[in-house]
Amino acid sequence: MRQWWWKFLAVALLLFASIAALRVPLASALVHVSPDRIAPGPVEITVTGYNTRFAMEEVVYLENDGQRVCAKGVNVVDGTHLQATFHIPAGMKANLTDIRVGRLTYKGALFTAGLGAGITSGSCGPGTTKLDMTGLAFVFPNRSILYESIRNLCFHVPMWFTMIVLMAISVYNSIRVLGSNSLVQDQAAELAAKVGLLFCFLGLITGAVWARATWGAFWTNDVKLNGAAVTGLIYLAYLVLRGSVQDAHKRARLAAIYNIFAFVLLVLFLFVVPRLNAVDSLHPGNGGNSGFSDLDLDSRLRMIFYPAVLGWILLGVWMYDLRVRAARLAETLDR
Amino acid sequence: MRTFLSLSLLLMSITASAQNAAPTWLESTLYGSGKINAVVAVVAVIILGIGVWMWNMDKRIRRMEGKGK
Repeated sequence: MRQWWWKFLAVALLLFASIAALRVPLASALVHVSPDRIAPGPVEITVTGYNTRFAMEEVVYLENDGQRVCAKGVNVVDGTHLQATFHIPAGMKANLTDIRVGRLTYKGALFTAGLGAGITSGSCGPGTTKLDMTGLAFVFPNRSILYESIRNLCFHVPMWFTMIVLMAISVYNSIRVLGSNSLVQDQAAELAAKVGLLFCFLGLITGAVWARATWGAFWTNDVKLNGAAVTGLIYLAYLVLRGSVQDAHKRARLAAIYNIFAFVLLVLFLFVVPRLNAVDSLHPGNGGNSGFSDLDLDSRLRMIFYPAVLGWILLGVWMYDLRVRAARLAETLDR
Repeated sequence: MRTFLSLSLLLMSITASAQNAAPTWLESTLYGSGKINAVVAVVAVIILGIGVWMWNMDKRIRRMEGKGK
């Protein structure tokens, strides 16, 4: 009697994680300012918010190296647009000025011309307005460049976790083949690698789509991208190698040895090389970059991300299980 | 093997369309509305990929059914 409870768990986790990943709202944030350069003198700045609900009594000010310039007047157009007029004093210290609307900050929003020794900091009053559009406490981080696409974390990344688990199942069976010469284990190794390759392809394509929306290109020379592509090719070569050996027992041993090397390379290409500080990577947590764990409210993202990872891994193992059973059934029918 | 072939063709078609498409088209679809369409595209790719896999599995079982009779 087969154990089936984990299949229900897979469906339940995927259902929960997918719905939550798509429906949890993004936190309020300031996403655009116009103009984006300021110089001493009067200026009117249009601020665009995302998931905000600007109120009439909004407190708007600029912050340059800890010194504040309060808005002379604020005109709230609607919940996501407001115009603030400033008189920029001469002598600001830093090149980049932050703009703040109530509790929200857009860091480095304005490039500042006419630098000097410093200005007298204004006192603008506390930002007391409610800015969360939804009023919900459970929101995803709203980060520039990513915005809504941060939800892809719960879809793109689990593909790789699933691939790695399937390749681990594959190499585990391959190691056992070396001791037992069992063709059954050899077949299990092959099928796990095949299902793992499906997830590798899904990871590559979803990554390409996400990269286009955030980094501006479907393919960049990111070490992790190239490493993942090479890993995919290594496993394709594993299947080609299997196809080129006629004798079943010889094939089993040869493929097992190759598979062990392939798994070592997978670990190197996906975990070791991208984490070297010497290489440059666009991926969070690689090449000296900070991971997603550095984001504020990251614990909320994790509460959806980990169930998604587990759900996808279980689904991948389920797919592998189906392939193994189908292959064994086919063999029984052949006899 | 056929799954990988069709998936690589899908990858190639995406890359090919990227080269022809004007930036304005992407601006309005992928970048628009807080880049939510990047999520829609990613979910669509996953469902399509699993769909292709299911189709292949279906064929495998159909072949067995033919033998069983």
